[in-house]
Amino acid sequence: MTNNPFNGYRLPPQWKKYLSNFRVILLVILAIIVLWTALFQVGPEEVGVITRFGKYVRAVDPGLNVKVPIIERVYKVPVERQQKQEFGFRTLRAGIQTQYSQAGYEDESLMLTGDLNLANVEWVVQYRVDNPYNYLFKVRDPEGTLRDISEATMRQIVGDRTVNEVLTVGRTEIASSVHEAIQISCNEYSLGFTIEQVVLQDVNPPDPVKDAFNAVNEAQQEKETLINQAKSEYNRIIPRARGQAQETIQKAEGYAAERVNNALGEATRFDALYSEYIKAPDVTKRRLYLETLQDVIPKLGHKIITDEKGSNILPLLQMQLNNK
Amino acid sequence: MVIIILAESAYTVKEYDQVVITQFGKPVGDAVTTPGLKFKAPFIQKTNYFEKRYMEWDGDPNQLPTRDKKFIFVDTYARWQITDPLQFFIRLTDERGAHSRLDDIIDGETRDYIANHNIEEAVRTSNREPIPSSETVEEVGDTLVEIQVGRQRIQEMILKSANQRASDLGIVILDFRLKRLNYVEEVREQVYQRMQSERFRIAERFRSEGQGEASKINGEKERDLKTIQSEAFRRAEEIMGQADARATAIYAGAYDKSAASRNLYSFVKSMETFEMTFDSTTTIILSTDSELYKYLIGLE
Repeated sequence: MTNNPFNGYRLPPQWKKYLSNFRVILLVILAIIVLWTALFQVGPEEVGVITRFGKYVRAVDPGLNVKVPIIERVYKVPVERQQKQEFGFRTLRAGIQTQYSQAGYEDESLMLTGDLNLANVEWVVQYRVDNPYNYLFKVRDPEGTLRDISEATMRQIVGDRTVNEVLTVGRTEIASSVHEAIQISCNEYSLGFTIEQVVLQDVNPPDPVKDAFNAVNEAQQEKETLINQAKSEYNRIIPRARGQAQETIQKAEGYAAERVNNALGEATRFDALYSEYIKAPDVTKRRLYLETLQDVIPKLGHKIITDEKGSNILPLLQMQLNNK
Repeated sequence: MVIIILAESAYTVKEYDQVVITQFGKPVGDAVTTPGLKFKAPFIQKTNYFEKRYMEWDGDPNQLPTRDKKFIFVDTYARWQITDPLQFFIRLTDERGAHSRLDDIIDGETRDYIANHNIEEAVRTSNREPIPSSETVEEVGDTLVEIQVGRQRIQEMILKSANQRASDLGIVILDFRLKRLNYVEEVREQVYQRMQSERFRIAERFRSEGQGEASKINGEKERDLKTIQSEAFRRAEEIMGQADARATAIYAGAYDKSAASRNLYSFVKSMETFEMTFDSTTTIILSTDSELYKYLIGLE
């Protein structure tokens, strides 16, 4: 200690004053450091997990919290924040008109279907940390693990379906199956994640076969068109024919009524005549004959009356024709 | 001095750590697996930290032949954990050593199992019945071939064999999955061609179905039209025939009562015929013998 250069060194009095002040300043700085390391803030969507000497001791809620400096450490886990992972594409810039990039992610999205066809499947997994302890201490790189699980699961589910199911009818069923399967795997791995939603985005045939798939759609449209045309032709012809058929039948019924009524009328008239006729057949007949000729003869052009005694009628005829 | 000794003998074990204490490089005692503040002999003992968490293993993407001689591209992953840190330390030293051993074991097992199964077995998991997307199932190809083993079982078998081979390494493989499975680039082109021809076949089928359906409707139209028209004709003829029959019966009833009525009928009809057929162009030559003019000669 005798070697200490400061020992016995006589400080000037003003320096002594500084030294006592320096102690105070040191204490204040120390206090600030202690407070700085002891106090911490947990955000509204977070939970603070505190370990002492590396051992988990407690979890704290959002707000200002205190820990023992140095020996206690805090991990902040955003348990309320919904996070998402994108497969087969990435959101370049989210906004009113969100931009996406598909290029370079084909390896993620191109997969084999059960009938050994290929399909491009893009999807999103939305998840939340629901167990901060598991999230921090059970699995290294939980996010990467979730990505692996999602990819493997999606391929397994798609691998059990036909390309048609994947592209058309099976979309929602695939999303819900994948959701369920990923959640089961997360629980098995103790990832501490809860899967909120699995959403299938674009599901397309690979580019080289898109045209062929479109051709199928076109053919389907064509089929509908042909059927509709035939149906409209049917509808144009048949109801009219039904109406015309009705017309024919009505006309026939009209004819029938007329025919029967005429017959009835004529028969009744004849009956009436007959019942009088048989009382005096000769006279009636003669009367009818004469009445008829009375009606008819005035309408005739030439009337020639001959006598069986006047044998030659030809000169008379000649004369009449000349007069005309 | 006290501080230095304390700092050398105390150490912390985190929640996800496990520690093997070595003395001059030789492990002593059991591994420390509980977290918290721990003590050891200063200077002569050293701490070796190992992960307690599940760790990632990602297989190198590889081209492998299947049993049906199809080359596929296989990407695998696994999750593993150090279960016996002491054994792990002795056999593998560190994670790098572990990864290299896992590469050998898992890649080898994957190769074996893929080579022993047809491609469908690695793609499909179950023999589920697909949801048909069209009524023309066989043309659209909504059918899946029967599988015997399936992806899930292959994964489980690889996991089991790999774990057997890794049993003395102080680790356990918790899960093994086939992550990506695809045709290799050269085969893909052929697959696209097959898919195209399949789609075109389906398209043709739709077109032909449309034409067929249209022809059917056209036929129905012709049939219905002829049926409607002929039925109407038949009905009309029936109605008219019945009316004719009735009229005939009525006439016969009236005219065919007796010889006198028949006589009267033919007389009346003749008279009517006169009235209807004679007009101004007709020339009539009447003899004074006739009923009408017989009195012209004089009263008899």
